[in-house]
Amino acid sequence: MSIENITIIGHSTLSAELAQILTKSGFEVLTTDLTEDYSAKASVAELVLEFLPEDLELKGKVLCDCDARCKGETILVTTTGNPWITRLASNTTRPDRFIGINFVRNWAQGKLFAQVAKGLQTSAQTVEACIESLRRAGLTPVKLEESPGLIIDRMIASVINEAALMYSTRLATIEDIDKMMKLCANWPLGPFELADIVGIDSVVSTLETLHQQLGAKYLPCPLLRKMVDAGWLGKKTGRGFYTYT
Amino acid sequence: MEIRKICVLGAGIMGHGIAQVCAQAGYEVNLRDIKDELVEAGIARIKKFLSGSVERQKMTQAEADAVLARIKGTTDLDKATRDADLVIEAIVEDIDIKKQVFREIDKICPTETIFASNTSAQSITEMAMATKRPEKFIGMHWFNPPQLMQGIEVVVHDRLSEDTVKTITELCHKLGKVPGICRDSTGFIVNRLLQIWYNEGLNMYDEGIAEPQDIDTAYREGCGFRMGPFELRDMVGLDTGLAITMTHYREYMRDQFKPPRCLVMKVRAGELGRKTGRGFYNYEAKS
Ligand SMILES: NC(=O)c1ccc[n+]([C@@H]2O[C@H](COP(=O)([O-])OP(=O)(O)OC[C@H]3O[C@@H](n4cnc5c(N)ncnc54)[C@H](O)[C@@H]3O)[C@@H](O)[C@H]2O)c1
Repeated sequence: MSIENITIIGHSTLSAELAQILTKSGFEVLTTDLTEDYSAKASVAELVLEFLPEDLELKGKVLCDCDARCKGETILVTTTGNPWITRLASNTTRPDRFIGINFVRNWAQGKLFAQVAKGLQTSAQTVEACIESLRRAGLTPVKLEESPGLIIDRMIASVINEAALMYSTRLATIEDIDKMMKLCANWPLGPFELADIVGIDSVVSTLETLHQQLGAKYLPCPLLRKMVDAGWLGKKTGRGFYTYT
Repeated sequence: MEIRKICVLGAGIMGHGIAQVCAQAGYEVNLRDIKDELVEAGIARIKKFLSGSVERQKMTQAEADAVLARIKGTTDLDKATRDADLVIEAIVEDIDIKKQVFREIDKICPTETIFASNTSAQSITEMAMATKRPEKFIGMHWFNPPQLMQGIEVVVHDRLSEDTVKTITELCHKLGKVPGICRDSTGFIVNRLLQIWYNEGLNMYDEGIAEPQDIDTAYREGCGFRMGPFELRDMVGLDTGLAITMTHYREYMRDQFKPPRCLVMKVRAGELGRKTGRGFYNYEAKS
């Protein structure tokens, strides 16, 4: 089956950028949101992506609505960063044509990057069809199994957690840790700069999921929890590890 | 305290580069190794680097000659260290040999001489306590190649004097480097965080989540790292990598530092990365 028509449900800067990239690459793209009859717009597509807030119930309802109206061969996509793919898939009539594609922005170059996450029941054809479409759109997708934090959030959260532990146990300052990682390991950003961009709340939430599913080593550092309690969530609140004006 | 003369112990990968950086900043340098040919090899590497700089018009021949003239090679430990204001140790990564050398030079050097170790993973505190001058014993962890890498981890501990820290951080600036202060702990800042960075990637592969190629691509394309964890392991060498990971695991006794199974197995299988033609990737020329 070839993918030509894509419907994107939900508006965000990422979804808008993706819609633009897909249109430029020759796909027919429809965008919609919950104020409209989104399942009607989904019914014409071979690929439907939801870009809704991280709310399991909401995503579940919208995807089931689409499942009921879409063509049999249509692939349903959740862009969740949470390990909800298999669970969402199993509530539809097409768990084999259901997949996760998580989009993140590369902080160094600002480019979009896609992690294609296979649920337990996702078919190999579904994975390949998604990879092919993303490549056609000029993206560099990677393929993985559904897992907490996927590749990127998991790695970042672990590094930030260790850096926070080093800082809170007074081994080094925030500035020196960031500086050394950039100068001595060629990192594009230091762990604390990264934490402030990603958001401390989102780092803690990834760590909690990892902790729940993979064990004690992902327990969030107490400092990170306190920062969330204090509302020091990073750039978006004007204060995280650094202060922004 | 003012530093004029620096002694560098060990003329290997790190020592020759450290000596060169010091000489380029105008310091008199004694470069010491245990055999004449090792000293000569170190100085030959410096010459080669400098003539490259002259070719690329980064410095004049006269400047290069002046840098070389400031470096005196020797195998004589007494001569090398006696008149130095600072001794930077960059010998083999063996704590017993390092402590032995520090004990020896502790007897030779005046009490005000500062001792610095370039160790990557041994305890600065433990070495400091092998001398009678722990307040003048500091960690100075350079990165490879010393001529090009800008950061230096300055490793401090409970017995160190403020004055020594100040002298060494100022020296870093004079050498054109950027110091980062870290309390003595295994891996300091950079290697410790790198262990987590490597391990997460390798663990994902062990857990069957993704292939090395996809994980490397995600690190590079998704996050802007220059290389992914498998590529970098292959480049540095899997045996070296495993040894560093083990040092962290033994010291911290935390699961975060546990060597991933795929790394252990590759080392057991003798697939050590680029240097053996095979590691996580295959580098053997296809026939
Ligand atoms: N290679 C790296 O990337 C790197 C980076 C940072 C720190 N380090 C640390 O720097 C130190 C040196 O590492 P290297 O990679 O340069 O090793 P190397 O093997 O290239 O050089 C070590 C040199 O020390 C000499 N040596 C041995 N015993 C000596 C003694 N008693 N007195 C004087 N010289 C002696 C050896 O002959 C050898 O030439 C180690 O502690 C290492 O952990 C290495």
